This record gives sequence, C-alpha cells and structure tokens, in this order.
Amino acid sequence: MAQAPFPTSEPVDFIIIGSGAAGGVVAKELSAAGHSVVVLEQGPHLRAADFKHDEWGYKHNNDLVWGARQGHPQTFRKTENDTAVLVESALGYAHNVGGSSVHFSGNFWRFREVDFIEASLLGPIAGTTFSDWPITYDDLEPYYTKVDWEVGVSGLAGPWDPPRSRGYPCPPMPVKASGVLLERAAKQLGYTPYPAPVAILSQVHNGRPACIHCGFCNGFGCEVDAKSSSMAAMIPLALATGNCELRTLCTAARINTDAAGRANEIVYWEEDGREQSQRANAVVLCANGAETPRLLLLSESSQFPDGLANSSGVVGQNLMFNGASSATGLFDEPVNAFKSVPTTRVMHDFYSLDPSLGFYGGGGIDSRHPSNGLPLGTGLSGSLFGGPNWGSEYKHSLAEEFTHTAAFNGHSTSLPLATNTVTLDPDLRDKWGRAALRCTYKDHPDDIATMRFFLERSLELLDAAGAKQVTSRPITETEGNVHLLGTCRMGNDATTSVVDRNNRSHDVPNLFMVDGSSLVTGGRGQPTMTIMALAFRAADYMIAAAGRNEV
Amino acid sequence: MTPTQYSRRAFLRSAGNAARGSCIVLTLPMILTSCERAQEARLGEGEFTTLSAEEAMEFTAIAARIIPTDATPGATEAGVIYFIDKVLGDDREAEHEILRRGLTELQAAAEMRFAVTHFYELQAEQQDRLLTDIEASAFFATIRYLTVAGMFSLPEYGGNRDNIGYQLLGFEDRHVWQSPYGYYDADYADKGA
Repeated sequence: MAQAPFPTSEPVDFIIIGSGAAGGVVAKELSAAGHSVVVLEQGPHLRAADFKHDEWGYKHNNDLVWGARQGHPQTFRKTENDTAVLVESALGYAHNVGGSSVHFSGNFWRFREVDFIEASLLGPIAGTTFSDWPITYDDLEPYYTKVDWEVGVSGLAGPWDPPRSRGYPCPPMPVKASGVLLERAAKQLGYTPYPAPVAILSQVHNGRPACIHCGFCNGFGCEVDAKSSSMAAMIPLALATGNCELRTLCTAARINTDAAGRANEIVYWEEDGREQSQRANAVVLCANGAETPRLLLLSESSQFPDGLANSSGVVGQNLMFNGASSATGLFDEPVNAFKSVPTTRVMHDFYSLDPSLGFYGGGGIDSRHPSNGLPLGTGLSGSLFGGPNWGSEYKHSLAEEFTHTAAFNGHSTSLPLATNTVTLDPDLRDKWGRAALRCTYKDHPDDIATMRFFLERSLELLDAAGAKQVTSRPITETEGNVHLLGTCRMGNDATTSVVDRNNRSHDVPNLFMVDGSSLVTGGRGQPTMTIMALAFRAADYMIAAAGRNEV
Repeated sequence: MTPTQYSRRAFLRSAGNAARGSCIVLTLPMILTSCERAQEARLGEGEFTTLSAEEAMEFTAIAARIIPTDATPGATEAGVIYFIDKVLGDDREAEHEILRRGLTELQAAAEMRFAVTHFYELQAEQQDRLLTDIEASAFFATIRYLTVAGMFSLPEYGGNRDNIGYQLLGFEDRHVWQSPYGYYDADYADKGA
C-alpha cells in the first residue's frame, strides 16, 4: 500500500482531526493495523527539547493554550439569557501535537463500575440529562489496561482500585511531603489514602525515560518525555509505521459529505492560509469537547442544516467541566511541594456521596502545591493567609508560602445539562474567519454542594495533618475549565445522543467522534485516562469494521 | 540644569527611597546601573523599547513599593522594569494603555496631595499612601501583576535578574530533584506511615 506522505487527491483510509489524547491513540492504532492515516493538527509539533520551565510563556502568554492574542477569541455566558463576553479562555486546551496531554498533570484515575450505571442506581435527577452509558466498566477495562501499559502509568494496585486485569507497569512515584501529610491525616480520620496513579513514568518503560522530578508538569511539556502524553507515547509509534502522515499547523475548516451523506473530504487551512483538502474513506474527529462540536456545527449544509451529525440537536450540549475545590495549610517544616510530580497521594473514600445528604455527587481528594509549585503563581496568590498583597510584609510571606504549604484539592462530579453548551458565537470570528467558540455554563446546584462537601473534608484533613494555618478558595460558579466533556455524548438512542456505543455517528456512518465529547458522565475529575481508553476501544472497532468493509 | 540632568537626579532620589533599608550599601550599585539604563533610554539610545523614560522611572518606583528593597533585594534589583518594557511590547497595547491612563491619574494625585510632578519624587511613605488609595484599580492590578511577573519569570524575559525572585522564594530552577523533597517525606522514610 501507499506510504506516507499521501497525496491530497487520493482518499486515505482515515483522516483524524486532532492529535491529542484521543487522536494520538487512534492514529497509532489505525496506522499500526496497516491503514493509511492523515492526522491534521492545528498546532506545531513541539518536542521534549522545545519545552522550558517557562511559567510566563505557558501560563500567562498562552504559548500553548492559545487565546485572543493568538487569533482564537472565545466568549462566555452563564445562561442563554446573558450576553456572552470575550474571555481569555473558557474552553482551555493546548494547541500542539499531543494536545492537552502534553501539559496535563497526568492524574490517571480509571472511572469505576458505578460511573457507567449511576443514573439507573440513583434514578433521574430533575433538570439534568443524567444517563447511563451504553457501555460498562467491563467493556472498557481491557482498554484501561492498554492505557496503563502502552501509554505508561505509574501506580500501585490495591483494594482502592476498581477491578483490573493486570497490575501497573511502573511502581508509584516516590511519596512527597505533601503526600505524606495527606496520607497521615486521612489514616487518622479512618480513610484509605493510596499512591496516586499518574501518567508519568517512575522507571524506564517502552523505551522512554523515568521522571527526574523537576516539578514542571501541570501546564508544561515534559523535557525528558517521561510524561505519557500522546505526543511522547503514541505519535512516534504512529509515524514509525510509515502509514501515518502528521500535518501540523493545519486547521480544519469543515467536513464535506457526498450525496449519500457520507463524510468524504476535509477542507483545511495550511499555516500560510492556503486552503487545502484531503479526501478520506472515513473521518475521525478527535478535536476535543469544544472543537469537535464546533466543527460539526460549522459543517452544516443543505443536507445537514443543523450541523453535521446533529439530527438529535444535542451536538454541543451537556458540556461538563468537573468540580474543583482547594484548601491550603501552612506547616511548621518544609514541604517543598514544588518538587517532582504534582500529586503522590489520593483518597477516594467519597467516590459516591450518600444520597441522604440531599444532593448528587462524588469525587476524590489529592495533595499538591497550592500554586502548582510555581514561583510566579505563588507571587500572584500571596498573601495566601491574609495580610497585604504588596509591600515588605507581602514580600517576606512568600518564601513560607512557597515552601511550607500543601493544598488538599477536591476533584468532583458535574452533572450534564442540556443548557450547558459549546456553540458558535454569532458576533465574533477567529483568525480564520470561523465563528468563535461560545461557552454557556452554569453549575447545577448539586455540583456546587459537592464542591462545598469536598472543601469541608479538605479543611478537616488539613487540621488532622497539623496545619498551623489554613485558607481556602471560595467555592464559586465555574466559568471555564480544561476538562471539555459530554458535547457529543455516546448513547443507544439516536434522538438523545450523537455517537453510538462504538463512537460512530448515528447519522453519518463513516464519521467517528472520539474524545472528551463522547463522555456521558464526567467521572470524578480526571477524565483523560477514560478518553484514551475509549480511543483504544473505538480504534479496535474501526479496525474490525474496516476489515468487514463496514466503515 | 537640563531636563535630562533633572530626570537623572530625580531617578536617583526615587531609587534611594526604594532602597532605604539595611541593604542599601549592598544594592546601590545595582540601582545605579538601573538608573544609568533609564538615563540611556532618556537619551534615545537606551534599551527600553516600549516604555518612555518617564514611564520607566515611574513604574520602577511603583514596583519598588510592591516588592520593596529591604533586607533582601526587591523589584528594582531584579530588573522588573526591563521585563515590563519587554512584555508590553509583545501585543499588550491594551495593558500599556491602562498603565498610561493610570499613571496620569497617579501623577495628578501626587500633584494634588504632595505638590510634585512625579510619583518617583515622593518619599516611600507618601508613595504607599497614594498606592493604597488605588489598590482596587485596574491600573494597580496591572502594575502589580507585571511587577510580580517580572520578579518571578524566567530571567530571559528581562526581570528576575540573578534569580533574585527565585531566591526570595527559596526556589532553585533545577531539572533533577531526588526524594526526600521535604521534611515530612524524610520523616516518613524513617518512621513509615
């Protein structure tokens, strides 16, 4: 068969839009199975050697997460009755090969059995689209194990884990002082803390090196490829097959369909603005929970007047972010949580809150540096424990805040609501002239109650840990996030979901949506491992279907 | 006296105010260096590319109150003004405009309250009073943000000279750390959970 690079005039077997957590996995699986694959990625191919400890660049200048200054403005409103206003980033994601898996923290919590069947267990929740998944944990377990071994996860199997068919490939990271503080406090209160599973290698695995504990994970690209991004773990394998061509700085404009309603061509822009198109036998949309629905909506036609694959009308709906809460303690001795990976201990004793509390929710608590271990972040958040935020007193409070603190953070559920959406902004365009991303989001009251619950537990834990002072971030309504979930949800019913149980569009038989947009529920705050597991599973299905000539 | 000479003296006075404290002897050479650079800009040959010399002197004085020079070096020694000059030139005209407008108002307040033309001419206590009055303003938020950013960003952006900001925090920008990282994990290794 033909080898990459491929001519645009001849159809390739699969074109994948987006090279992130899902796209990287799908590209590797399909190309390893012998299919011709073109991957379009709107960002550059940054590699380990390109990354720096550049907090200003990555966290404040949007070098990875592009915003208005890079020609990608977004707007935000709480409800459709509000006027959407220009924001730097409500739907945040990294624009580079590997997507946000490059700059994530790598907290790889599997979803549990309950996540897939919770609506049946608890019953419907008024005002929400809370639903069971069309697949179960057992369906996904083999693919979680594939993620563990092929992508690379470090952790410790134990009674705290959902059932697993194989142990972790790498032992857990060395515990940090912040992890010890959480572990000791949690045990004192009768909980079950355990070593945090992370997509960062604690030892050499699959030819990639072990973490050297520099501390710059969250928001940064790993400088030694120890972080298991799809850039480090999947894309090189895809390219090595000779069947995969990665076209970077190429931005998808629309998906075209033929008279039969099959997706047959992607129109895209090259870096210099030149319009290009690629024919394909099948299209896999892995552009993330914001860009995937956006591209479907932008691909409206007389055949698909409400957007491609949107006969249900739910494309872009049910956006979920995950809840977050954070409390920080000041300790007598050095914690130095700025070193090594963000989190080394986690507890899931409140995975499913007791319904008698009167609200739905659940989540986990981990322990981190309050400002992600970052110097500038610490300077901006100071003085954390009260006092002035400029002047001599402020200046001299910073050292203690940087070295002697640990934050116990809650990561929790968010309910799917039809009114929380990704849509096209009618009044704003991006640098390519496309309608800008518009985010509409207001937390369900139960999500807020859940965040409060976790904040209270964090404060109790900090007290048990011996913190001499504590402070917490007030719980406020979410106005943006980097977990972009649910906007092309999976389901058996074509009138209420966008893709079927194999991530295939209900409406367009050779179109697959594979990324955070497929998630029916958002889990407990760490969705990327599930996005990758779904990608492995969807790719398996595509390969089998292609073998039967059924794509 | 030419305006240039006046500015130079005024800048020195401002820097002296900022440096009032136990390390003045230690840091004065650095302040003088900053002053010389501001002066070069004034003469049209310096290294400020975005800020005017007057802005540079005023923002240096403000930054010196946000992160003062006392027992340890502050924003002045860290070269925060060079960071501000550099990043404002990078597509940040909106922020520069907030600073321009705010500075004009601050100078008007300095004139009204203390009968001076420039913020940098004031004593530190007077400067703090004026800044306290505008703590809630977009101007103060912007100059504080840029000052803190200049203190703690990579030195290649122009500030955080000699890692002065990092040293203030007890941060060392290393690529390799080894366990134990802090007290409690060392203790855990000794005693267990």
